[in-house]
Amino acid sequence: MGLLSIIRKIKRKEKEMRILMVGLDNSGKTTIVLKINGEDTSVISPTLGFNIKTIAYNKYTLNIWDVGGQRTIRSYWRNYFEQTDGLVWVVDSSDLRRLDDCKFELDNLLKEERLSGASLLILANKQDIQGALSPDEITKASWYSILLLQVLNLEAMDKTRHWRIVGCSAYTGEGLLEGFDWLVQDIASRIYVLE
Amino acid sequence: MEEQAPPPPLPTTTTTTETLDAATQRKHAAMLDRLSTLQQSRLLSHKPNPTDTPPSFESIQSFLSRFSTTKLAIESDLARIRQSPSDPNPIPDPKSQLQSLSLSIAGLEKFVAKNSYFLPSYEVRTCLKSISDLKQTLDHVTSLVIPKKKFSFKSKPTKKGPIVPTSPTQIGTRNIEPTKVGSFRVPDLPGFRGKENEVLTKVFTGGGLDEIGEFTVSDLVDCEVRLLGCLRALFVHRLRNCRVYVGPVLGSVLIEEVEGCVFVLASHQIRIHCAALSDFYLRVRSRPIIEDSSGVRFAPYCLHYDGVERDLEESNLDEETGNWANVDDFRWLRAVQSPNWAVLPESERISSLEILNPDT
Repeated sequence: MGLLSIIRKIKRKEKEMRILMVGLDNSGKTTIVLKINGEDTSVISPTLGFNIKTIAYNKYTLNIWDVGGQRTIRSYWRNYFEQTDGLVWVVDSSDLRRLDDCKFELDNLLKEERLSGASLLILANKQDIQGALSPDEITKASWYSILLLQVLNLEAMDKTRHWRIVGCSAYTGEGLLEGFDWLVQDIASRIYVLE
Repeated sequence: MEEQAPPPPLPTTTTTTETLDAATQRKHAAMLDRLSTLQQSRLLSHKPNPTDTPPSFESIQSFLSRFSTTKLAIESDLARIRQSPSDPNPIPDPKSQLQSLSLSIAGLEKFVAKNSYFLPSYEVRTCLKSISDLKQTLDHVTSLVIPKKKFSFKSKPTKKGPIVPTSPTQIGTRNIEPTKVGSFRVPDLPGFRGKENEVLTKVFTGGGLDEIGEFTVSDLVDCEVRLLGCLRALFVHRLRNCRVYVGPVLGSVLIEEVEGCVFVLASHQIRIHCAALSDFYLRVRSRPIIEDSSGVRFAPYCLHYDGVERDLEESNLDEETGNWANVDDFRWLRAVQSPNWAVLPESERISSLEILNPDT
């Protein structure tokens, strides 16, 4: 048995990815995780601490770490940075007042050395709530993407980082699979090159 | 000196020991002569140095006096150099002067070490301590006069948008600007902002294009707010002495910086930040949380208006779960009851609040 086939065997067994979900409080992180898992999302309390969910996704195993985002516990995010393959930043699109706060926290995260290789997925959550704001579907899509791109200044991000912004709704479930599909593919292409 | 006397032949003792003694005695005498001449020559070679006198009481005194004069000279030099930044005529080359001073301190240390063999240990200790003090002073003066270039990584300049200032002490006394996020102006989202001493009512009919997603209530003083119907999200910010009565919210309520208010709310999640002296009448499907709050009290939901039961059922809030008393305090992570919140005693509660729908 050659070395290459042994490595291929090992890699086939561990197709695990570690994903860290962070964001401001009230952004919908826990709801997203439970929605993907197919659980009841109406009895979710604000997370005091963190939740871990292991999900089988296509042929991969995702370990999703969902950490609470209240101001008091934001300082504990750094404990979860090690060995993170993918970073999901969840934004409450309806909370415009705190978008500057959100940008500040995201900037701090992107400066972290331990997260420098992780793929970044930005989920603009709660898209369903803003139905009244712009009835036209096209203008709504461009409005939030312009807003978020400008405010979060994503264009100025490091050129080596893989990132993507996806609008979603944890309540209805739309957009979630699209976002996670991209994230899983991106991580797999980086790590599991033999496939 | 390895000189081995030949082993004496055993049988004869008297004559051989005598000869042995004589031989060894001669050798011993020769050895003693050699040692004494060595000592003499050592003494002679040291004689030319005037400071190294044979140990006696006077030499300790002379050592100490010499040590103290040198130390005073170095200290005065250091003081002079330290004054030099404020001196009208600056010293030409402080770096070389400091270097020569450090050399003289090293020489002083060597002096002490050379004489330490006859000095009492107390003197040695004090001299060494004063030398280390001199060295510290020299380092200090060096850092003052010649600041060291600190090694640091160059950080990339980060662009930070203006952060919205939140000071809880200025509730209700702020100019209200149209919502401006970064450099991008957004149209004002539905809400009540910046009113004083008014009764504000809004009825959400629900369904169709009229469905309001979220609602913002901010910067109100002495107002009464009535929101009837179903909402998707509610943001409450900076209220003072207000009463807020809200129908069911299919989503979450975020309350920040309120003081002396009464809230009657029903929703799936409630987050309360920076609240003071307020009462909350809640119906929640999860545990409400407070953070940075004090003097808040909780009681069950009590709002009644025409159609409230139907709205509660639509928002999945019709059953009373009793979660209004299960409050988590994020600033009190201990098993003991947090002092920041309490259950509102029944005698002080509003048992039922009736609101008449203005449209009917």
